[in-house]
Amino acid sequence: MDLNRLLSEKEFVLLDGAMGTMLQAKGLKMGEIPEALNIEKPHLLTEIHAMYADAGADIIYANTFGANRYKLAHSGYTVQQAVSSAIANARAACRGKDTLVALDIGPIGQLLEPTGTLSFEEAYDIYKEVAVAGSDCDLVVIETMTDLYEMKAALLAVKENTDKPVICTMTFEENHRTFTGCSVRSMAVTLQGLGADVIGVNCSLGPKELYPVVEELCRWTDLPVAVKPNAGLPDPVTNEYSIDAKEFAALMSDLAALGVKFFGGCCGTDPEFIRELRSALADMKYTQRKNVIPPCCCTPANTVVIDMPRVIGERINPTGKKRFKEALLAEDIDYILGQAIEQIRAGADILDVNVGLPGIDEKAMMVKAVKAIQGIADVPLQLDSTIPDVLEAGLRVYNGKPIVNSVNGEEKSLRSVLPLVKKYGAAVVGLCLDENGIPKTAEQRFEIAKRIVSRAEEMGIRREDVYIDCLTLTASAEQEGVMETLNALERVRRELGCQTVLGVSNISFGLPSREIINHNFLMMALAKGLTLPIINPNTESMMQTVRAYKLLANFDKNSTDFIAHYGTQKPAETVKPQINVDLPYAIDNGLKGEGAKITEKLLETTDPMDIVNNILVPALDKTGADFESGKIFLPQLIQSAGAAQACFEVIKNYISRSGGSSESKGKIVLATVKGDIHDIGKNIVKVLLENYGYEVIDLGKDVDCQLVVDAAIRHKVKLVGLSALMTTTLASMEETIRLLRENKVDCKVMVGGAVLTEEYAMKIGADFYSKDAKESCDIAKLVLGK
Amino acid sequence: MGFRTALPDENMRAVIDECESELLKVISPRYVYRAADIVRNGGEIAVSGTSLVFKGRDIAAHLKDCDRCVLMCATISDGADRLIRAYEGADMTKAFVTDCLASAAVEQVCALAEEEIRNRLSGWYFTWRFSPGYGDLPLDIQPAFLDALNAQKRIGVTVTDSMILIPRKSVTAVMGISQQEIPRGRRGCICCNMKDTCQFRIKGEHCGS
Repeated sequence: MDLNRLLSEKEFVLLDGAMGTMLQAKGLKMGEIPEALNIEKPHLLTEIHAMYADAGADIIYANTFGANRYKLAHSGYTVQQAVSSAIANARAACRGKDTLVALDIGPIGQLLEPTGTLSFEEAYDIYKEVAVAGSDCDLVVIETMTDLYEMKAALLAVKENTDKPVICTMTFEENHRTFTGCSVRSMAVTLQGLGADVIGVNCSLGPKELYPVVEELCRWTDLPVAVKPNAGLPDPVTNEYSIDAKEFAALMSDLAALGVKFFGGCCGTDPEFIRELRSALADMKYTQRKNVIPPCCCTPANTVVIDMPRVIGERINPTGKKRFKEALLAEDIDYILGQAIEQIRAGADILDVNVGLPGIDEKAMMVKAVKAIQGIADVPLQLDSTIPDVLEAGLRVYNGKPIVNSVNGEEKSLRSVLPLVKKYGAAVVGLCLDENGIPKTAEQRFEIAKRIVSRAEEMGIRREDVYIDCLTLTASAEQEGVMETLNALERVRRELGCQTVLGVSNISFGLPSREIINHNFLMMALAKGLTLPIINPNTESMMQTVRAYKLLANFDKNSTDFIAHYGTQKPAETVKPQINVDLPYAIDNGLKGEGAKITEKLLETTDPMDIVNNILVPALDKTGADFESGKIFLPQLIQSAGAAQACFEVIKNYISRSGGSSESKGKIVLATVKGDIHDIGKNIVKVLLENYGYEVIDLGKDVDCQLVVDAAIRHKVKLVGLSALMTTTLASMEETIRLLRENKVDCKVMVGGAVLTEEYAMKIGADFYSKDAKESCDIAKLVLGK
Repeated sequence: MGFRTALPDENMRAVIDECESELLKVISPRYVYRAADIVRNGGEIAVSGTSLVFKGRDIAAHLKDCDRCVLMCATISDGADRLIRAYEGADMTKAFVTDCLASAAVEQVCALAEEEIRNRLSGWYFTWRFSPGYGDLPLDIQPAFLDALNAQKRIGVTVTDSMILIPRKSVTAVMGISQQEIPRGRRGCICCNMKDTCQFRIKGEHCGS
């Protein structure tokens, strides 16, 4: 027997019920490691498995839910021991039956980055070890996941290291989200894309509460669906579950009508539940679902359905942008994040991410950028590179279903990019060009589009996931080509039914008043069926065009979105009356926009360094002094620093445009020490130091002690700042200082953090104790001068 | 936020209001609790049915009049972490304000949980909420504390190797309960682990708790 035979021969497939509940009934304490029993009390496990097999389970889960190296760390057993014995116990229980044995994989027990500290790559390694250890199972189950990212790490580990079919189930709450905010539809499209064989839900709620969750899931996948709920809801005081086996079975059979194929029980269920389930389903027929899953891409929380034009923001791309190139070279990820946030605010639905620049490690940068952006932004990403390796690196660490930009009609491209798109379950942009370049006519471009679509389909990529780019040519150079592009687009939309992508801004290159051309071309393209314009959403006229089109084409029902944006005159940015707003006033009052505007104006007449030295620094000094004397408080100090930061950004841009480089007063390494993730204080210090012209090398949080030493040496810094907020992590601070001294790094160390005292700072060998952000600037002045 | 007894100005109040409404959109408060007997064994206090063992003089004093306890864990979910991270890239003021609001929010969730617990266990007397890290109760009981409540499965709370609860704005606490009235315990600065560095205390003031 194998999973495929089960699927074809059985009307419904029965899973087992709870293991933990059974073990606790036998005396296992909360917090004890259940997998140790695989070795210590194998008969107990075999007995429980046999009860489920006898009750009618077609698949039983081996007792390996927590058999990973992290959870087993203090058990005295290896992963291999725990897993092999578990599978042997399950096999023993199924002897003489057709029952399949599943390797059961649960969450590691630590949350992944960026909220937690476990990296995606470490999670993959942990799961790989489990998958390899359990490769003599019949199938693999990954269950009770609440983080789509962790699920992806597990699924990739299983698919890449075994040839077993995989059932993936996640755990949803009453708000139809997992704890980490993953939606049902995002889970469905992501896991189907990644090659799960069966997907479903388990744990958290009872069958009644899970009904709407299962209903949504059944609409968003054409894979077989599995449901393994709890026996209702637990009472917090007694820990008893609310429904019995009969009621459970009755509620579960309601789910069958939705098109569920796999049924089992989670916490609070026992063999009786499975027996009742079997009899309740005995006379029922499997409901074949007929779904049309719309074209979409997603993050865990946000599924962008392409049922109307969706804007792809083009700004994360160094081409032709000096400031962006500088940021990439300096690995200034904050700058990229700023670009992301700005575009999302302006209305981008999807962000293109291109970090290709000679002289940088594009692969590493893609990984870094994808991780950072998805850590703060909730829009899907379009991974943009000409190098398949870079695309794969980005696809691997992306959390959700991304878009790949791009494949084209060249054989080499089709062969190298489409397999990646298939493996990682992405959507892909197909460019209408091939070995012979960009064809002149609409007819020829359409032919390439057709070829790309058919090659994608041969590989198992759905047509809905191929977005065709008919390529914009510059109107000033090839005026006759403009309508060819639009005509090709129209045919692709109508005859192939694909989504269409178009980079719009290129159209006006070399012409005056580009904006006029751009938004008119955009309107023409939208009318021809463009669904994914790649534009600069920060240009207001472009977003106006998209919103107006959506209204006129009846996508924006009742003009809701349009009215929300343009229905009322927006109030002015500042609360204060605009009397005498000069730069010191703007900084004093934390007026970012005003500060930036005034700086721009000043730059027309004043040397940038004069603005810095004669206006900005004195203004900052004043707020610093006000803070010290208790006239203003921390939020206001930060607000002023933010306003000054906006002014400095304007000045940096100006200097960069005029070919100069900003003057640095010296480099400082900042880090929140190993084990600690409370980095808000460090980040406040960073903003202040940067305002005073210091170049901050921010190593982030949970920073390995040696990394601080390496960075201090590599950047030849004279000052290192360390922060820690926990008594438990002060030891890492001490260790970092010890390593700096041991390596004879010629630098001073300042430390800060809520649990530190001056006395303790001196005891662990720091040179300075900084009681607040302001004081860290004073220390920097003392050490680095100026 | 450091304002202590001073009031924020109008400008800052607007920022706080905005951050509050954004925060409320992304958090989902959850808590889990269970009541259990406690077993004294030498200097240690074991929570029965779990592998959780309390050590230290302060927790012993806290639970001295009780033979049962209620363990609880509360969180506002990682939506708050995400929002704070996003603000850190764009606007440090909002990041800081939101961080403070989120800390206050999880305290409110604890208060709600406590209210429910007191209602469910009416007739019982309670001590105040004591958390790992208070006094000499070590932080390294967090993993066992979470396991005792099955907190990862039930409300999504985990702990890192350096004993930081994740999502960041999460709290574990224990209340002693008894059928007899419990003499009101001292809940002052003395048993706070911040007592040496607390900015309130230095200025002769008090924090909110």
